[in-house]
Amino acid sequence: MTERNVILKLSNLSKSFDGLSVLKNVSFDVKEGDVIAVLGSSGAGKTTLLRCINNLITPDEGEVFFKGRQVERTRQSIRSFRSKVGFVFQRFNLISHLRIVDNVALPLVKVNGMKWADARKAAEIQLRQVNLGEKLTSYPSQLSGGQQQRVGIARALVMNPDIVLLDEPTSALDPSLVGEVMRVIRRLSSEGRTMIIVTHETEFAKHIANRVIFLKDGEITADSCPTEFFESKSDDVTEFLTDLSAIV
Amino acid sequence: MTRAMSKIILGVIVAGMLWFSYSSVSAVYPFNWRSLARYYKLFIEGIVTTLQLSVIALALAVIVGIVVALARDSKVNLLRDAGTLYVWFFRNMPLLVVILLVYYGFGSAVNIDRFWAGVVSLSLFEGAYVGEIFRAGIAAVPSGEKEAGEAMGLYRSQIMFSIVFPQAFRISIPPLIGQLVTLIKDSSLVSVIALGDLTMRARQVGTQTLAVFEAYILLAACYLFMTSLISLVGRILERRLAIP
Repeated sequence: MTERNVILKLSNLSKSFDGLSVLKNVSFDVKEGDVIAVLGSSGAGKTTLLRCINNLITPDEGEVFFKGRQVERTRQSIRSFRSKVGFVFQRFNLISHLRIVDNVALPLVKVNGMKWADARKAAEIQLRQVNLGEKLTSYPSQLSGGQQQRVGIARALVMNPDIVLLDEPTSALDPSLVGEVMRVIRRLSSEGRTMIIVTHETEFAKHIANRVIFLKDGEITADSCPTEFFESKSDDVTEFLTDLSAIV
Repeated sequence: MTRAMSKIILGVIVAGMLWFSYSSVSAVYPFNWRSLARYYKLFIEGIVTTLQLSVIALALAVIVGIVVALARDSKVNLLRDAGTLYVWFFRNMPLLVVILLVYYGFGSAVNIDRFWAGVVSLSLFEGAYVGEIFRAGIAAVPSGEKEAGEAMGLYRSQIMFSIVFPQAFRISIPPLIGQLVTLIKDSSLVSVIALGDLTMRARQVGTQTLAVFEAYILLAACYLFMTSLISLVGRILERRLAIP
C-alpha cells in the first residue's frame, strides 16, 4: 500500500470569543483521500475549527499548512488557499439572485477568470453529477433544501478542490431530504475525495469516514478509526453517544 | 365585492365629490380655462425643466448615496463618522434652506447657474436619504451569502459587485422610487430661486392671466400625473427584477 501524502496540517489552532476559549491547541494532519468526521456536542468548537481552517474566522494562534507550505494570513495567500478548498455550508448560502448554474459558475469566473459561457458548461457538468441537470435555470428559492445543499456541494467541487470542508451538511434539512445529500457525499468518498465533515450524523462517521475526530470543549479528546471510536470506553465518547442516541 | 368593483365605486364617489366642489366654487368664482390654453407651452417648458432637474439630481443623488452608504458601512472610523455626519446634516436641514445656502450663499462667492444650483441642492439633500436606503439594502443581503463569496476566494470588491450590490439594488427599488417621487415634489421648492420649473411657470401663468386657481389646479394635476407615472414604472421595474 502506497503512503498517502499529508495534504493539510493544523498546528496548535486556538480561538477565543470574548475570553471564552472555543478551540484549544488543535493539531492534526489530513492525508490525501482521508474522510474525517468531526464529532462533538454543540458548542464543542467543531464549526469554529472548520472556519479557522479556511480563515472565515481568523485563529488567535496556530498555523495551517497546505501541501507542506504555511498558509500566510495575507489576502493573496488566503484567496489562493480558498480556491483549492471547497466549503459546504450548513444553510447552503447560495446566492439568491443568481440561477443555479450561475451560482456554481461564479467561482470559476471570478477566481479562475474563466468566461461565463465556459464556466456555465463546467457548472452544468457538475450539476448533472449531483442529479440537478434539470434545474439549471432555477433560482435557489425554487429548490428544496436537499437540492439546495446539492448545489452547494456542486459549487464547492467545481473548482476541483484538493479538500472539501462540510459544515453540518444535513442538519438544516428535513429528515426526508437527508438521504439524497448523504448519497452524494458517499459517492465523493468512494471517488477518493479528501473531506472533513463536521456532523451530528453518526451514519457519516460509521459508513463514510475513515477517521473520527472527537472534540470536547475545544480540545481533541479522540482521534481514531470509526470502529475504534464507536467501541471506545472513554467517558466523553460514551456520554456523547448516549446523549445522541437519546435525541434520535 | 371584488377589488375592481370597489375601485370603480371609489372612483365614482371621488369624481362626484370633485364635481360637487367644482360646481360650488363655480358659483362664486368664474373659472376661465381658455385663458390658460394660450400658455400651454410655458407649462410644457416647466414640466421639461422639472423632469430634467429631477432626473439629473436623482442620478447624482444615487452616486452620493452609494458613497454615503459605503462610508457608513466602512471599517475605517473616519469614513464611517464622515458618512454619519453627512446624513445627520442633511436630514436635519430643510431643503429650502439648502437651496438658499447653495444659490444665495455659495452663489455670492462663485458664479452659479440657477439650474445647477437646484441640481446640486437636490442631489446633496436627497443623497443623504438615498444613502440610507442603500445602506438598508446592503444590510438586508444575507451575511451567509457574503461568507460564501469569501469561502470561494472572491475579493471583497468582487463580493460587493457580484453578490451584495445586485441584491441591495433590487431591495432598494421600492424606497428609491418613493424617493424619486419625493424628489419631484421637492423640486417645486427651486422656484424660490426663480428657476423656471413647473411650479414657477404655474405661478407666472396665474399672475399673467389672473386665472390663479385654474393654474394651480393644472399644476397639481401635472404633479399627480408625473408622480403616478413614476410609481407605475417603479412597480413594473420591481416586478421585472424580483428574485423568485
